[in-house]
Amino acid sequence: MVKAKEPGSYLPLTEATFHILVALADGEKHGYAILKEVVRRTGGKVRPSAGTLYGNLARLEESGLISESALRPDISLDDERRRYYRITDLGRAVAVAEAERMEEAVMQARAKKLFRKPRLT
Amino acid sequence: MLVRLFPSDFRTNYGGEMENVFRQQHSEIEEEGSLMKLLQLWGETIAGIFATAPRQHWDILKRDVAYTLRMMRKNAGFTVLAVVTLALGIGANTAIFSVVQSVLLRPLPYAEGQQLVVLTQQAKKSGLEDIKFSVHEIEDYRQQSRTLAAVAEHHAMSFILYGHGDPDRVRSAVVSANYFDLFAVTPLLGRTFVPGDDAPGAPPVLILSNQYWKTKFGADPGIVGKVFEMNDKPHTVVGVLPSLPQYPSESDVYMPTSACPFRSSESFISNRDARMMTVFARLHSGFTASQAAADVATISSRLRAAYPRSYPETMGYAAETSPLQEELTRHARPTLLVLLAAAGFVLLIACANVANLMLARMSRRERELAVRTALGAGRGRLLRQLLTESFVLALMAGTLGLLFAFNSLHLLTDFAARLTPRAHEIKIDGPVLGFALLAAFVTSIVFGTLSALAARANLSSSLKEGTPGAGTTRQAGTVRNVLIVGQVAFSFMLLAGAGLMLRSLLQILQVDPGFAPQHVLAMRTTFNSSGPRREFVAVINKTLAQVQAQPGVQSAAFSSIYPLEPEVVAQGAQGMAAEFQVEGRELAAGEAPPAGSFTVVSPDYFRTLGIPLKEGRMFTERDGAWWQVSSSPEGALAKGFSAVAMINQAMKHRLFPNESALNKRISLDGGDSWLVIVGVVGDVKEFGLDQPAAPEVFYPQTEGPNPTTLIVRTASDPSAVADAIVRAVHEIAPQTAVSHVLTLEHARAESVASPRVTAGLLSLFAGLALFIAGAGIGGTMALTVTQRTKEIGVRLALGAPPGNILRMVLKQAMALAGLGVVLGLLWGLALTRLIKSLLFQVKPGDPATFFAVAAVLLITAAIASYLPARRAAEVDPLSAVRSE
Repeated sequence: MVKAKEPGSYLPLTEATFHILVALADGEKHGYAILKEVVRRTGGKVRPSAGTLYGNLARLEESGLISESALRPDISLDDERRRYYRITDLGRAVAVAEAERMEEAVMQARAKKLFRKPRLT
Repeated sequence: MLVRLFPSDFRTNYGGEMENVFRQQHSEIEEEGSLMKLLQLWGETIAGIFATAPRQHWDILKRDVAYTLRMMRKNAGFTVLAVVTLALGIGANTAIFSVVQSVLLRPLPYAEGQQLVVLTQQAKKSGLEDIKFSVHEIEDYRQQSRTLAAVAEHHAMSFILYGHGDPDRVRSAVVSANYFDLFAVTPLLGRTFVPGDDAPGAPPVLILSNQYWKTKFGADPGIVGKVFEMNDKPHTVVGVLPSLPQYPSESDVYMPTSACPFRSSESFISNRDARMMTVFARLHSGFTASQAAADVATISSRLRAAYPRSYPETMGYAAETSPLQEELTRHARPTLLVLLAAAGFVLLIACANVANLMLARMSRRERELAVRTALGAGRGRLLRQLLTESFVLALMAGTLGLLFAFNSLHLLTDFAARLTPRAHEIKIDGPVLGFALLAAFVTSIVFGTLSALAARANLSSSLKEGTPGAGTTRQAGTVRNVLIVGQVAFSFMLLAGAGLMLRSLLQILQVDPGFAPQHVLAMRTTFNSSGPRREFVAVINKTLAQVQAQPGVQSAAFSSIYPLEPEVVAQGAQGMAAEFQVEGRELAAGEAPPAGSFTVVSPDYFRTLGIPLKEGRMFTERDGAWWQVSSSPEGALAKGFSAVAMINQAMKHRLFPNESALNKRISLDGGDSWLVIVGVVGDVKEFGLDQPAAPEVFYPQTEGPNPTTLIVRTASDPSAVADAIVRAVHEIAPQTAVSHVLTLEHARAESVASPRVTAGLLSLFAGLALFIAGAGIGGTMALTVTQRTKEIGVRLALGAPPGNILRMVLKQAMALAGLGVVLGLLWGLALTRLIKSLLFQVKPGDPATFFAVAAVLLITAAIASYLPARRAAEVDPLSAVRSE
């Protein structure tokens, strides 16, 4: 088994990795669903191809941030090949740590007045 | 799909998924009907695969390597044994290859070095291979040849350089002005020679070698323009050479032909027969070396027709050209190729042994591999893991081997220096590193595949049987046995080669040199003498008296050369030979005139070296000293004075086989003057212990060229009195340069250094092979015993005496070793023929050597398998049977 490490030791995550974790945060999904969610969420800015998607999934699984789900929702709807992934506790902690890291970075930038405050309209 | 680019694991896990996702993306976009987006999807997907696949492979590699390293740490013993075994093999190969690459393969370090050739002239009927060229001849070849763009000459001389501390004896190369242009050498400082530097009467100029400039002048940047005195003339330094290998010999300074008193003398230049120079040439582009050879041969025959007096029919004159690179490496080639082959054998044996080790370990790992298979690892995946393991192993071995090679480079350079002037170029360069890497890679493939293939055969069966260790199939056993037989056979060949070289070396060492080298010291002494001969003789006689007065000195003598003098051995008897005629003998048509080496000696020479007198008398102080008789040589001759000579037995047998040689007369100058033979001495191995004694003529110090070597016999260790002797020389003649102080025992050892090192290296390789093969046999037998413990237990339980078990195991080992010996014997008989040229008085198929080698191998096999056999005999039948 992979030794449980500090969530901080996985940071920073690549953009695609982070979005995959976020996509899985609200429940188990299969590959194509993850892909679509990532594309939708980022407005098409992040658009992993099939190869990169599964490359990332394999590595996330390897390091224990996600795992393959044993449960398959509704067998009738399910393609037997389809694998479902879920985020692990570690994965969740890492995603949170990454979000905090980014937030911290944004705060720093704001403090330096690097960009405008959001308008309260 | 391009999914095939992914590692197989990844493919099985995610291939279908990826196809799914792609199909869904595809159909979605198809509904939109946008061709652009479709193309974009294809592009992105393909790019994505190319970006991801290598990473996946890399991840697996990292994981496999990490796993391998973990396994290695766990099996430290196995790892160390395998790595060291392979490292020795790779190291030996890399070291020898660095020599082969630097000496035989790498082009000469000159611009278009392949266009450089060396001209040689032979007198074939006299058996003289290299008689050099005269000034006239060089001019003829220069003018008449169609193929040679430039012709340059070179000869080496020693002169004394004054004006910088002690008088210094410098090795001088006397060359034509175009010499450096021919080799395309650009100077480090100043200039090289220009046309006119070698014109008669031109002011003498010098070019310093890089080495001499650094050691003698501390790399003084202001050296150009400095003036030194040589041969009683001021010489101006005009340039310093870059650090370059120097051919044909190392020199301290270069001077143009006009600055050499011998080469520039009127009589030397006009004499077509005064041959002293080596000739180099650069080919016109578009001509090959063989075209040049034909061209030169034509000119040679033209000259023979034009000057019959200079090229007597009886001598068989001819001229040839050969590529410079070939000429410089001629002596090194056979030895180096034999060593490379030997090193290759060692690596093969090492491979076989490590494959065996891995196989043995594999049988213990069968369960691990089987479990991994059961967990879904494909065969390809396992093979990949095994190959990664072997590659990591080989890479470690390669690194270690490179370290070995690097450390042995000094030794090899010294060794190769005896074979070729290119030795100083030896280094580990790109191609050598590449070779080491390739050796490691090929090695890993060889033993990795061997063991992996055998493992493949086992995998399926082992789980079913469920008996780890005992489940080794017949196939793997066969592979192991073949490997053992191969190791023994290759070891046999290496041992036979080494054995033959050792026997040959022993034969050489047993050769009676014909003199007593113990307690004799030699040193080169160059007197600054330009006065008349009688004054010079007076000085050296006074010097001898002074040296002999030193405590511990028994006798002392001067001579021009001494037996086994390194430079003389390098040059060989032919380099020293001169022709002469015997009074009253006409040469028959086609008969070559007698030739021999001429040595100038002082009266005590033979006593000092312990060379016995066989007939007649030794020289005395009066011999040749015509001035004691008359005021001129002619007057002395008129008063019945005669010049004298002594010869050795080889010369006597050649010239006067059935009569006394005493009082016979010989002439070196076509009958103008005669030497009377007054004595015959025993033969001496002057030019090498492995050479037949050359016919020799000796004449007293009062005749011929100045003797340049002082030889001293001492009562005890000669090195202890060396300083006192040098002081004694300087007391009488302070301007004398003394160099090359050497004991004759050292000179003798030095003369056999090349066969000694060759024999040593081959023995080292053979020893390695023997050790590896022995370890291999022992290891395999131990494994067999472990695997058969149950069977042995049953046998013992059924009443088989332990002695039988012991014999059974030994028999199996000896059968393998015996088969290996037979194969090795057959191959060895064929292969040792190839080293025939390196052997001295030993036949390639020498039965004693082959018998000894077979005995050594069989004994080694017996010893190696005895321990496992005894363990087998001591198996406790109860626990053995119960253990399963």
